Formats: sequence, C-alpha cells, structure tokens
Amino acid sequence: MALLMQLTHTHASRCGLRLKLFPHIRRTLIRRRSMAEDITRLDFLVIGGGSGGLAGARRAAELGAVTAVVECHKLGGTCVSKPLPHINLGSYFVHCPTAPPGHFIVSLCFINATLKAKRDAYVSNLNRIYRNNLDKSKIQTIQGDAKFTNNPEPTVEVNGKKYTAPHILIATGGRPSALSEEEVPGASLGITSDGFFELESLPKRSVVVGAGYIAVEMAGILSTLGSKTSLLIRQSGVLRNFDSYISTNCTKELQNSGIDLWKNSEVKSVKKTDSGLELAIATKDLEKKNDEEKISTIGQVDCLLWAIGRQPNTSGLNIGGIGLETDERGHIVVDEFQNTSRPGIYAVGDVCGKALLTPVAIAAGRKLAHRLFEGKKDSKLDYSCIPTVVFSHPPIGTVGLTEEEAIQTRGKENVKIYKTSFTPMYHAITSRKSQCIMKLVCVGKEEKVIGLHMQGLGCDEMLQGFAVAIKMGATKSDFDRTVAIHPTSSEEFVTMR
Amino acid sequence: MAALWKGRRRWKTNNYFKVLARSLTGKYEYDYDLVVIGGGSGGLACSKEAAQLGQKVAVLDYVEPSAKGTKWGLGGTCVNVGCIPKKLMHQAALLGTAVKDAKKYGWQIPETLSHDWGTMAGAVQNYVKSLNWGHRVQLNDKKVKYLNMKGSLVDENTVKAFTKAGKETTLTAKNIVIATGGRPKCPTNIPGVEHGITSDDVFWLKNSPGKTLVVGASYVGLECAGFLTGIGLDATIMVRSVALRGFDQQMSGLVTDYMEAYGTKFAWKCVPRRIDKLPSGALQVTWTDTQTDSQHQDTYDTVLWAVGRAPETKALGLDKLGVQLNKETGKIIVGADESTSVPNIYAFGDIGEGRPELTPTAIKAGRLLARRLAGQSTQLMNYDNVPTTVFTPLEYACVGLSEEEAERRHGKDGIEVYHAFYKPLEFTVAERDASQCYLKVVCESSGNQKIVGLHFTGPNAGEVTQGFALGFQCGATYSDLLNTVGIHPTCAEEMTKVHITKRSGLDPTVTGC
Repeated sequence: MALLMQLTHTHASRCGLRLKLFPHIRRTLIRRRSMAEDITRLDFLVIGGGSGGLAGARRAAELGAVTAVVECHKLGGTCVSKPLPHINLGSYFVHCPTAPPGHFIVSLCFINATLKAKRDAYVSNLNRIYRNNLDKSKIQTIQGDAKFTNNPEPTVEVNGKKYTAPHILIATGGRPSALSEEEVPGASLGITSDGFFELESLPKRSVVVGAGYIAVEMAGILSTLGSKTSLLIRQSGVLRNFDSYISTNCTKELQNSGIDLWKNSEVKSVKKTDSGLELAIATKDLEKKNDEEKISTIGQVDCLLWAIGRQPNTSGLNIGGIGLETDERGHIVVDEFQNTSRPGIYAVGDVCGKALLTPVAIAAGRKLAHRLFEGKKDSKLDYSCIPTVVFSHPPIGTVGLTEEEAIQTRGKENVKIYKTSFTPMYHAITSRKSQCIMKLVCVGKEEKVIGLHMQGLGCDEMLQGFAVAIKMGATKSDFDRTVAIHPTSSEEFVTMR
Repeated sequence: MAALWKGRRRWKTNNYFKVLARSLTGKYEYDYDLVVIGGGSGGLACSKEAAQLGQKVAVLDYVEPSAKGTKWGLGGTCVNVGCIPKKLMHQAALLGTAVKDAKKYGWQIPETLSHDWGTMAGAVQNYVKSLNWGHRVQLNDKKVKYLNMKGSLVDENTVKAFTKAGKETTLTAKNIVIATGGRPKCPTNIPGVEHGITSDDVFWLKNSPGKTLVVGASYVGLECAGFLTGIGLDATIMVRSVALRGFDQQMSGLVTDYMEAYGTKFAWKCVPRRIDKLPSGALQVTWTDTQTDSQHQDTYDTVLWAVGRAPETKALGLDKLGVQLNKETGKIIVGADESTSVPNIYAFGDIGEGRPELTPTAIKAGRLLARRLAGQSTQLMNYDNVPTTVFTPLEYACVGLSEEEAERRHGKDGIEVYHAFYKPLEFTVAERDASQCYLKVVCESSGNQKIVGLHFTGPNAGEVTQGFALGFQCGATYSDLLNTVGIHPTCAEEMTKVHITKRSGLDPTVTGC
C-alpha cells in the first residue's frame, strides 16, 4: 500500500515524503527509477573517503541525506593509511631510552619490521572500522576513480556508472609532490612519505630533502631510530612559515640531535651505484655575492626521501571540464562556506590547500553537512586559531599568528611579546638535554593573546587547552590569573613575566 | 658568663631605646620591613618579590630533622621532599614502562630489566642539592638576608631566631609572614610506629626501601606506591576507607584500578595495629581487615606512613601572641588577605587554614602578599579554579568541582556530564590496556552549559590540563570546547570531541575520528 502511494506521487512531493516513509524502501525506489536513465541520483555524493569526506558523509547521512562515498584506495585517506598515526607511534618512544635515571642494561637496536607489522595491523583495523561506520550509517561506498562528465547537471562517473546529486563534495585530498626526471635526473630513485611507511627495514644511510614539517618529522624518526641521516634544505632554516623563534630553535635541535643538516642546498642528480644511491648536491655559499655553487656528493644512500611539498589530487577528476576555479598550484578555490565556483559543488580538506589538517577537514565536512541538510545557513568553519603540532624532537605546538604576522597586520607598537626558554625537569638527570621554548604574541592594550608558539617535551599534549582559551579571546592577564600545575612544563605559560 | 650577661644587658638596653624611640617619634625603626619565617615555595616567592619591590627582607629557614634523622637544605617541602623528587622518581618509573613498551616498537631489549635505586636516588638527591644552592644564590642576588635559623615570635614585630647550636638572634620587622608549611603526620596509637618512615625520608634513602607497605591512600601514598611499583619493588597500599579523599571518586577509582593492574597491591578497609621489628631487621606488620574484623600479618622491609600532614607551628610561639588556630587542624586561621588574628602577622601556604596545599598557590599568594605589604597593589589571591595533578602511574589532572560536588551544588538535573573513554595512540602498538584512560567535563545543564569541572586521566595529564585550566578561568562553556579544532593525533584533542553524556547511557568509548 505504501509502495503504491509512493509510485503515484510526483518527485517533488516524494522528496517531502522521503523524510517520513521507510528509508530503505525509498532509497531502493529512487535508485531503481534512476537506473532507467542510467544515472543514480543521490542527495549527497562525496568524492574521497578520507578524513573530510567521511566526516561530511556520515554527518549528512545522520541528517537524513541519501549519501554515497567514492574512494579509489582504502577508506580513511592519508591520515589513517599514511603519515599521521605512524609518525606519532614511531617518534614517541625514541627519546626514552637515552641516559635515563637508574641503570638500564640495554643494547639498543631497532628493527623496523616489528613496528611495521604492528602499525599495518592497526591501520587495517582502522580501515575496517571506517567501513563498518559507513555501513552502519547506510552510506553506499563506491570503489573506483571518479571523473566529472559533460552532462548538463554535475555528474560523476565511476567504473562506467554515473551518479548525480544536488550536492557533490570533492574531498580528494593530496599527495606528495615529486620532481620530474627533467628537473632532477634520477629523482624517481627516491621515495616520498607514502613510500616511507612501506619500508621493511631501517635504512642505514638516509637523505631527506625538504624543510617543511614532513621533512622534519621524517628526518627525526630516521635519525633517532639509528639511520645516519642528512637533511637538505634550500634555505637556512626549517619550518620557514612558522614563527622565527620556532624555526631557529627547531633547526638547532635537529643539528644537536645528530642530523647532518645541509643548508642552502639542492639535489642536482641522483645515480644508482652498487653500494646505493649517489647524490650530487649543489650548495650556495651566501657569503659570496654571486650564484656560485659548490658541488658535493653523498654516496651509499639507502633511502632518498623527497618531502618537498604536497599537491592536490585533482588530476583525472576533470574539474577543468566543469569549470571549477583552481589556484596556481591546482588547489580548488572555495569560499568560507566551502562553495566552489560551480553551484552545488563543494570542496573540503587538503584539496583546497588551506590548513592541511585532519581535524580541519573533519570540522569543515561536518559544518557543510549541517548547512546543506539541516538548513543552518551560517554553518561554516572558523579557520582562525587552528592549533597544530609538529612531531619533531622535541615536538612543536603552534596556534594563531606568528610574531612577524602580528607585526605586519597590527603594527609593531601594538604587539607585545613574552618569551621564555628553559631545560625541562625531565632532563634534570639525563646527560642529553633539550630545551623548551615558549612565546606568547599579544596585541593591544588589553594584551589579547593572538599567537602561542612552543617547542619542547610535552608540547604536543600541552597545546589543545591553550587553543580553547585563545579562541575564546584570552588575554595575558587571564594567563596570569590561572594557577599553575606543578611540576609541569606547561605551567611556564601561566607564570611568564 | 660576664660577657653573656653584658651582651644580654646590651640587647635589653638597645631594645628599650628602640621601643622608646618608637613611642616618642611615632616612627618605627625596624631591622627589616619584612621577616618571612619559612624558606619554602611560598616563603621564598614572598621574600624575593618583596625585595624586588625595594623592601628590606630577611627569610628564616630551618629544617627540623625527621624522626629518622633526615634533613635537607633551602627550598621547603616542594624542592626537597615533595613535588621535585616525587616527579623525578615517577619519571624513572614511567621510563621503566616505556622501555618495556619499546620492545613492541621494535627495540631489542633484554628479557629482564633491572633498576638500581642508588643510581636514581643519588642523581635525584644531587639535583635537589643543586636547587638548594640555586635558591641561595637567588636570595643573594635579590638581596634577601637568609638565615638558616629556627624562628619564633616574640611579639607582632619581633622574631627570635636560633641556630642548631643554640645561638640566638633577634630581628624586628614591620611585618612578619609565617610560611612554615607542614610535615607528615604519624599515627599516635600504633606500637612500633617509630619503625616506619614518611615522605620526608623516602626520597633521601641511600638504599632501596625493598618490599614496602604504604599506609594511607592520599595522593602522597598513591604516588609513592606508584613509583615504587614502577621501579620493580613490591608495594602495597593500606587504605582505611577511600583513596584520594576530596577528589572526584569516579576518577579516584580509575587511578587505583590502573595501579592494581599495574602491580600495586591494595589492602582495602584495613588499619595497621602494630609493627614489630624482627631480628633480621624486617618489619612485621599486624593489621585488621575492618570488613571481616580479621587480623592479618605480613613482613615488609619498609613501612611508609602517608596518613596526612600537620602544620609546622610548634616552635613559633603562636599561642603566646594570640594567633588564632583552627582547633581541629592546628592551622592558622587566615583572612582573604592572608592576615591572622594579630595585626602585622600574616600566614599563607600550607600553614593557612582552608588553603590548598600546593606550591603554585603558595607562590602566587606569597607574591601578591608581598605586593600588598609594599603598598604596590590591593589584589587578593584567587583560590578558585585551582588545577592540580596527581602523578600516579596513570596521571590524573583536574580543575573545578568533582562530579559529586557539582551535583550537591546544582542538583543532578542541574548538571550535564560529557565523558569519554579514549585510547592513547601510543598504547596501541605497545598493546597496553587503556581501560582507565578517561575524561569528563561537568557542565551546568542550563544556559550556555558553563563548565564547572574538568577531569582527565592519561599520560601527561598535567601538560594536557594547564591550558584547559586557563579556559576554565576564562569561563569556558561546553561549546567553546567543541568549537576548538582538535590537534591530531593527541590525547588532549579528545577533550574537544567529547559528546556522549552520562545521562544518555550510551557507550562513551571513542572509536576513530
């Protein structure tokens, strides 16, 4: 009876009925009807089953939208399958065994295979959990590569089947950039962060190229696990987009930890020899005013790791064909509501090139779902004060503006800086020492804290709470009014003079 | 003898003239603007701040040796027999666990791992001594007169000070501040109590305490038993009633559950009756299980009393001056401005009635008091919203009200509790049990759901919670947490993702993003 009623109604009123009648019947009906035209119609089509895509899809499904996710690899995306969990797992324990209090009779030798096996098992488990979550939410998973067609309505084709929806979300993320053979002969002999996690054994000799957080994290892991590691950077410091206090300190800590840092250097060519890779490196001498370069070689390299940036995954999507605006690096341009230049098509996450972080993608995906399927017209993610951590050794935490950005936007006379550096008590009786540095960037008469930057043991876990307060508009005197927790490193933030 | 008598007469004469001068001119000429009795966290902060503001300051610090004869240098409980050595030994224990975990991460570690007490204790003690020295240098730099002498009040402007040898000095001051702190208590009615040690002794032992019975389940007892277990010793905690009295009891349960799984033994609802020293030197402890009313016995190498702390007021002569004390606790009754019942005499830190027994509150209160006494400020110490951390093997940090207290104040329907069981990423590969890693945010159920209490168990709890304590201080609401982007992957981010309420009855276990 209900079936008959449904069949006699028009599509428009069916949409209204949809929310009331049996969902599984209505979904089947709609697909059946669409198959006659060979295009499956959904409420929400998500391209990319990573952090942003899955969060958006699940929230939309919870709000009643008929949703499908297209994924060409494993569910979970970069975050789950690649760098994030592994970096943390690898780096967490590496600084523990050095000169601890008490007398440990250990000979330290690291076997990557053990770690890799456990890590792979954990990741597979996560892939499975994501699949279960999607199934539970009745979200259809479509395995394959998606491509926009030339249909008048935005339509996506996967494995010969076509899908359309009034709302399509592109959340295809990014991938590591690679140099071409023309740019650097032999470049393909190196791996990227994607390949790093497939390594079965620890390379004896590693060279990491890049100055961003991925390069810093990889070099740190390799070096501390026992690989002789060099880090090649084009300029004089790492993390150049971070506050200069962090950039300088991190560069110093890398060198102090035994990483062989090559400043002002670039790889010119890579050759394969019997004893491993041989890299030709050009180093600029900044003292000399000319562009003279010194050429050196590093030989017997087991692992060359390119960490020179990431690029958006948009090739094959045919976004040019549907007229989506992109920036000069290929990121999809979106407004503050995640709208692309084509109505009905949205983008979140790394593919947009802004704040390339899992929690950002998740939050943006969810906010979008609420806007599209709950009528919350103003639902959008606030991209200011997004905290982030770099799992260097020791870790870095940062939120808000750098000192340089603050001076540029607010004027030097309006900016007040508070800084401190100390040796954490953890090192009270170790022979190895690392510093903890902290900086508050305050603005205006009331000294509103608009930036917080730190590097030191525990900074990864320290930052979250401060990010909450800074987003609330905390001032220096709020910091001062807060009682310290003793003994910790974090207490130094609330006792800064 | 004659010299002594002459000296006494000279002092009396001097004093007479001083008093005469005071009454004639109305101008008081004191030796010091401020004399601080007690060179611990509070006393040092107060004296240094006062000196920085141009005051002439003296600080007296004297350590009465413990019953076992342990003594230490400048810096008070925190530096010598509290926070600092405790955290370092806790760290030593954590490292032991980390090294075991490291095997799962691919490090080749030998099957048996051993710990050497002497190496750890020696290193910790050396570090503490360096802090003692550092404090002395700081006092010197800031031109604070330091006297390693026991102070006692003569009148509201006069302090008599004695060295260990009995040499006497008198100091007069415009204001006197008492910051003498407290010392561990011992039971009074147990035969053989003198065979036990306290936290005053444990950090200064030259040899391992061996198999230890810790009597008392305050944070001191739990922390000590925790690190003793962590370094491989057989440790038992004897609990008369509840653990972590005064703290949120659900969280306390998680802490003790973890410790039991970690290897610490618990003797719940038991009270010791007597301790006998055996010819071997071991201690035989007899106790009663109050639940079954049965008697039990076992032998230990060490018994550690952790049954509370008592204020250090004996030598001060407070009753002579009429400084009011709380009859039950013996602590000095203080006003919001740290004043006592006697003008010009102030007291703060552990010695103050109703004050948190924490270093940071003592430091802050001391600095504010110094500023007020120097006429530079009227700001009072805010004792609300004080965060704290218990450094047990699974650390517990909190700020604000316990759930029980929040319920008492707002009613069960007046609060909404958001909670989550989470698993630190680092525990996964290490195959560690994370059943007690938990957080809860206690909010007002009405209005904008202001947070009234925040509780967290997990690694690095102290580091996680400081920033949230700041948010709490700023009046954070539940949506302030949710509107903050999480930092991934960390334990702290779980605080910004918590969304299951206790009221819903749903499973609060976190499963992926």
